[in-house]
This record gives sequence, C-alpha cells and structure tokens, in this order.
Amino acid sequence: MTVTSHDNVPTTVLDGAVKDYSRDKVYVMTALFLAVLTLVEIATYAFPDFPVWADELVIPVLMILMAVKFFTIVYVFMHLKFDKPILTKLFYMGLVLAVFVYVAMLSTFRIWFDGKHG
Amino acid sequence: MAESLTSRPTLAAADAQQAHAHIDADTNTGISNTKLGMWLFLASECLLFGGLITTYLLYKHPLEGPTPHEIFDIPFTSTSSFVLLMSSLTMVLAVSAIERGEHQRMRVWIGATAVLGATFIAGQIYEFTVFVREGLGFTTSRFSSAFYTLTGFHGIHVTIGIIMLVSLVLLSLRGKIPEHRAETVEIVGLYWHFVDVVWVVIFAVVYLIPS
Repeated sequence: MTVTSHDNVPTTVLDGAVKDYSRDKVYVMTALFLAVLTLVEIATYAFPDFPVWADELVIPVLMILMAVKFFTIVYVFMHLKFDKPILTKLFYMGLVLAVFVYVAMLSTFRIWFDGKHG
Repeated sequence: MAESLTSRPTLAAADAQQAHAHIDADTNTGISNTKLGMWLFLASECLLFGGLITTYLLYKHPLEGPTPHEIFDIPFTSTSSFVLLMSSLTMVLAVSAIERGEHQRMRVWIGATAVLGATFIAGQIYEFTVFVREGLGFTTSRFSSAFYTLTGFHGIHVTIGIIMLVSLVLLSLRGKIPEHRAETVEIVGLYWHFVDVVWVVIFAVVYLIPS
C-alpha cells in the first residue's frame, strides 16, 4: 500500500501492529516504586519520631526522596532514558540554571541562617 | 513523495530494535521541532516554578494570620498528590497505546488521566475554600499570597493540561491522530508529566518540610 501524504493514512490501518510490547510493565513498576516513595514521604509526617528521619534528618530525607521521584518521572515517564541525549542536556540546562539562580537568590536573602547571624 | 505504509515502523517496533526509542525526524537533530520546542518550554518552566518556589521559601513564615502547619491538611493533600502521581502512569500508558496503534485504549487512558487531573483540581479548590473559611485569604499575609500564587499557578497548568487531554480525545474520535502522529500524544504527555514533577517538588517543599 502506498500513500502520498501522511494525512491520507487511515487511522485504523496499523491498529494493534505491535502486540508484544512490554514497556508497559516498566511503567507500572515505576509507578509502584513512586507510590512507595510517596508513602515514605507521608510517613515522615505521620511518624515524625522514627529514627531514620527524626529531628533535623527529616529535611535531607525528604529532599532525597523528592529528587529520586523527580528524576524517575523525568527519565522513565518522560522518556529521557530512551530518547536522544540532546533532550536531556536541554532540560538540564534549564533545571541547573534555575537551581543556580534561585540558590543565589536565597543566599542573598540569607535564608540558610537564622536571624541572629544577620 | 510516495512511501510504503508498511515500511513506516511504529515507535514500538523501533523501540524493540534500537537503543533509542524514537524514530528520527527529518531535522538536523533527528528530533521534531515540536518536541524540541516542548522540551525548551519545559526547561523555561523550571525557571518560572523555581521563582515561585523561592518566593514561597522566603515568605513562608507569616508575620500575621495562620501559619502553614496550622491549616495544612496533610492526609488530604497526600491523597491528591497520589492521584496526580497515578495520572502520570495513565498518561504514559496512553502514549504507549497509541504507539502500538491501539486508539480505543489510548482514549481510555487519556480519559482516565483527565479524570484524575480533574479530581486533583477539585481537591485543590476544596482546599482553597477551607483555607479561606479559616481566615487565610490571598492578602492575609505574605505567606498566603506566596502559597496561593505558587499552588494556583500549578493548578492553572493542570487545568490547561486537562483541556489538552480532552482535545486529544476529541481529535482521536475524529480520526486525526494516526500512529505517525503519536508524537502529538507524547508531547502532551511531556507537559503532563512535567506538571506532575513540579507537584512532587511542591508537595515536599511546601507541605511536608516542617517550619
């Protein structure tokens, strides 16, 4: 079958063309992994005295969990893992620029110190 | 230019044979301009939400009015977060379905994504309503204005995403999304996943980190 334009391709011609496609399992497993991480995040609120995140440890624990969730979604669900490296570089350019700019801004406002250091 | 339909591989077929998942576009980078544009847009969105989150961090301690952890309902927001997280799964399954040429399944997954997104927005509206009743209006304190602006901007992004998802379903029903245009679904999916990752950050930074 030959066509002259993409617009002329009937939408049903290729239906079900590739049945044995198993990346869906990877997506479901990734979602389960993210759900577990979310439950751990919620546990830091529900059980604040748990030794792993007691006292000042809670912020680093939450930041690590957040970063793992962030990059898991970006790499698996947004296909950076499977896509061309230039897209990864492009996205990281924006992300790294944003992090640098706003860490500098927060430092300017001395957010890392309490009032008596000012 | 005439070309054989059977010689055009679906993304799924290409994925099975190649290290990279996607078929090269006819551009210098091998990436379609639309997709490249969406990634550039998302990179710029990092700066937008970075600015809003930074402003919130600077203003999170209110000089007057209720404090964040006096009014936040963490179990409720956790449920909303979980709903939005699962919408990313349904979205990626929709992309996977259209890559296989399964239009009906794609519409079901996109519909599910839109419903989950709408549930999240309904939860956010409810949350805002409760906060206002408890005395936290937009101008109550610097915390409240920073909080409503950050979460409100995110809510607007989710709402735009829902509109795009509904449009995709309507286009699909009219036969406007054949397999070689599966990238349209993928690009909307990129936007949707980005909205989700932004909420991952907001949920941890705004709701869970203690004052």
